Amino acid sequence: MIKSCYVHIPFCKKICSYCDFCKLIYHKKFINSYLDALEKEIDSKYQGEVLDTLYIGGGTPTCLSYEELERLLKILSKLKLSKDIEYTIEGNVDSITIEKLELLKTYGINRLSIGVETTNLRFLQLLNRTLDQEKCRTLVDYARSIGIHNINFDLIYAIPGENIDDLEKDLDFILSLFPEHISTYSLIIEENTILGIKDTKNISEELDYEMYLSICKRLKENGYIHYEISNFSKPGYESKHNLCYWKNGEYYGFGLGSSSYIHKKRITNTRSITRYKEGIVLAEEELSLDDEIEYEVILGLRLLKGIDLRLFEEKYHHSLSYYYDVDQLIEEGYLQLNNHYLSIPEDKIYVSNEILVKILQNRK
Amino acid sequence: MKQENIRNFCIIAHIDHGKSTLADRILERTGAIDKRELKDQMLDSMDLERERGITIKLNAVQLSYTRDGETYQLNLIDTPGHVDFSYEVSRSLAACEGALLVVDAAQGVEAQTLANLYLALDNHLTIIPVINKIDLPSADIEKVSTELENIGFDRNDIIKTSAKTGEGISELLDRIIDVIPSPKGDQNKPLKALIFDSLFDSYRGVITSIRVVDGVVKVGDIIKMMETNATYDVVGLSINTPKEEEIKELSAGEVGYLYASIKSIQDVHVGDTITLEENPAKEALHGYKPMKPTVYCGMYPIEANKFEDLRDALNKLKLNDAALTFEPETSKALGFGFRCGFLGLLHMEIVEERIEREFGINLIATSPSVVYEVLLNNGDKVIVDSPSKMPKREFVSKTFEPYVKCSIFTPKDYIGSLMELCQDKRGTFINMEYLDTERVTIHYELPLSEIVYDFFDRLKSCTKGYASFDYELIGYKQSDLVKMDILLNGEVVDALSVIVHKDFAYSRGKIVCEKLKEIIPRQLFEVPIQAAIGMHVIARETVKALRKDVLAKCYGGDVTRKKKLLEKQKEGKKRMKQIGSVEVPQEAFLSILSTKE
Repeated sequence: MIKSCYVHIPFCKKICSYCDFCKLIYHKKFINSYLDALEKEIDSKYQGEVLDTLYIGGGTPTCLSYEELERLLKILSKLKLSKDIEYTIEGNVDSITIEKLELLKTYGINRLSIGVETTNLRFLQLLNRTLDQEKCRTLVDYARSIGIHNINFDLIYAIPGENIDDLEKDLDFILSLFPEHISTYSLIIEENTILGIKDTKNISEELDYEMYLSICKRLKENGYIHYEISNFSKPGYESKHNLCYWKNGEYYGFGLGSSSYIHKKRITNTRSITRYKEGIVLAEEELSLDDEIEYEVILGLRLLKGIDLRLFEEKYHHSLSYYYDVDQLIEEGYLQLNNHYLSIPEDKIYVSNEILVKILQNRK
Repeated sequence: MKQENIRNFCIIAHIDHGKSTLADRILERTGAIDKRELKDQMLDSMDLERERGITIKLNAVQLSYTRDGETYQLNLIDTPGHVDFSYEVSRSLAACEGALLVVDAAQGVEAQTLANLYLALDNHLTIIPVINKIDLPSADIEKVSTELENIGFDRNDIIKTSAKTGEGISELLDRIIDVIPSPKGDQNKPLKALIFDSLFDSYRGVITSIRVVDGVVKVGDIIKMMETNATYDVVGLSINTPKEEEIKELSAGEVGYLYASIKSIQDVHVGDTITLEENPAKEALHGYKPMKPTVYCGMYPIEANKFEDLRDALNKLKLNDAALTFEPETSKALGFGFRCGFLGLLHMEIVEERIEREFGINLIATSPSVVYEVLLNNGDKVIVDSPSKMPKREFVSKTFEPYVKCSIFTPKDYIGSLMELCQDKRGTFINMEYLDTERVTIHYELPLSEIVYDFFDRLKSCTKGYASFDYELIGYKQSDLVKMDILLNGEVVDALSVIVHKDFAYSRGKIVCEKLKEIIPRQLFEVPIQAAIGMHVIARETVKALRKDVLAKCYGGDVTRKKKLLEKQKEGKKRMKQIGSVEVPQEAFLSILSTKE
């Protein structure tokens, strides 16, 4: 049963230098035809399921004008939402306004994810972003005053030139706004991004790791739970939408370049807006049992709590150790068993790929 | 054919100085082939040789040339061009009375020109100096003539040719007839025939190239190899014109092929003398030397299941390559493979390349090693052709390593840097000769192991490619040698061990450790890399533990990307060898050869 849905709004007023995702520069004339296509896609795919999570991501969804945003929300109101829906929209401080916040609230949005990324002017420039800290405060206060109580901040660290002190300042600012949820990402320099083209070099692995440790430490001291490799939340505020991904649940993905997982098929939409408007899907991958199990493992082990082995066995009719030999990895301390959960220890989770590959190599 | 009208000769030259094209031109001019038939470089042409039913390299061609009503038989004998095969070259020369010394009109005299010249002189051959490629715009006939004059030729004796245009070829043929002596064998004496080459043919077994010195050999004769005492029935005799023609007999002075249902090339030794079982010759022709490998390395299939395929490939190569030796060897790091012996580095490279190309087996070759001699405290002598066979230090009294006499031929500008290189390589200066005002030959004695290591690359780089060199083994000398082990995470990796001179162990160990540090990826734990002599660690590097290997952002639920990335990472691991708990890329095994300092 599908209970989650992602909606992609690819438009941005400015392109961030690190962004590798599906994005387009905002042009007024594109928006309505895009929303038409989006509506058509939802109409043709949505089967009327009641959703527990709905996530509008981007791009920068809040860069739409008030009217365009209203039209989007109206289209999405066709989706049936459960009583305790987690309804998130991503946005940046630049484009969010008091009016837009009220509009969002009216349509049931109860979670706001704001891309702060960094507070340092130099790094903002490098990332081709801006941040008005005062406006950010005002918007957060206002959102809370009208009942949007669940707020996430995105933070990027390991930016070339950054040191621990710079990072601490970013954390000072974010913590001063008491967000319920914080996502932190170590800067990845992808090939086809502005940074990639400029051949920007990553900071050292050692410093990156040190930063990661100080983030973990600082956030824990402030009452946050480290529940996923790069996500932290106040108790009870884990992102339900992201948990659906990590628990290998099915979800709709509507919009340009978005991904769905429906009836054991992973479907990736085209990144070409013209083709999208023609209703063309890019890739459909029908999952074999092997694939499903592999996803279950590589996604589930992103969670600090790990994989629920009882649920796993229920789902796949055999225990996990029937499929993978994990005994030695447990013995060597790269995996741990806790009640009926299998997880990567917190001090090893930052090298989880290496550990995941070792598990995948041990397929029986 | 009466002996007075036979001329046996070969062409000797530095590589690429036009030996093969000159041979083609001679074939064409004597009418052995017409222009239409002539493929470039007839003597090297594998296709044509296949048509003749001979697989490779049997290159003694019998030509017929008529002058002033008199018909001459010219036997042109090809010689392998490289120093690794110098013994084979010397046997080919022994089958001749004369040699054409070919020098490129633009390049001039080079190291191999000299090396081959000296070999030819050792064999008492009459030499005709030839300047080839005179059609080249960069040809400098004057200068090259002077160079030839400086190594002892009369300017007026030099023939100038262009194998390309055919200029000078007739003059050359006349000179061959006029100058090169005819063979002086005795047809009535017991048979003595020199084996100067051999190859394996799947239909006829081993085919030998022979030069009859005395006597006559006929189809049906029972022959005896004087070195091995093996006897065979002569099944066939033939000559190459360059089409194969069956003949009934070969007599004193003549050159041809003999086959006798010899099953294995190991039973035939180049340099051996063939005689008849009945009425044998009293003594063999002198100069026979068994071929001994000078360089050894371990060859391991990258995919473990290709071990048997590798064995097949080596067996097949050995059919045509008597000098190749191999025996199974096991390495803890690399699994099952073979310890292979070669005549030299080039020979090793050829074999490696043929296994990879012709048999499709990917190889890891360990660092080449020369053959050391070790004298133990108890007086026993041990031959060490692999670091794994090096006895423990406490049992060793003295160690010896093979030395070569090396001739380097260079423009004088590079004398300084070459001498520096040779000193670096533990060389002993012998002398230096000026060939002309511009070029010199420098003679050094060097340990063979230093040449095997990276000498050639460094020679080329410090002389911008202008120097050429050649070497010959001169015997063993005492040397302070040690076995240096490389340890990964505290465990000795046998495939990385090398034998080095004690004074060089530290710097070599350091280079290897540094190189390995670059090549070995970070692992979940810190990996110490150590170079050690016995228990004594002489160099150390550390591959730091992996700190970050994680996929952070999940773009709009696109988890397929993560899976693909992990799969790629998993694929990459397949190209690694697991050594203890450490994953080591294959390049690591080559790093020991690395010369970057």
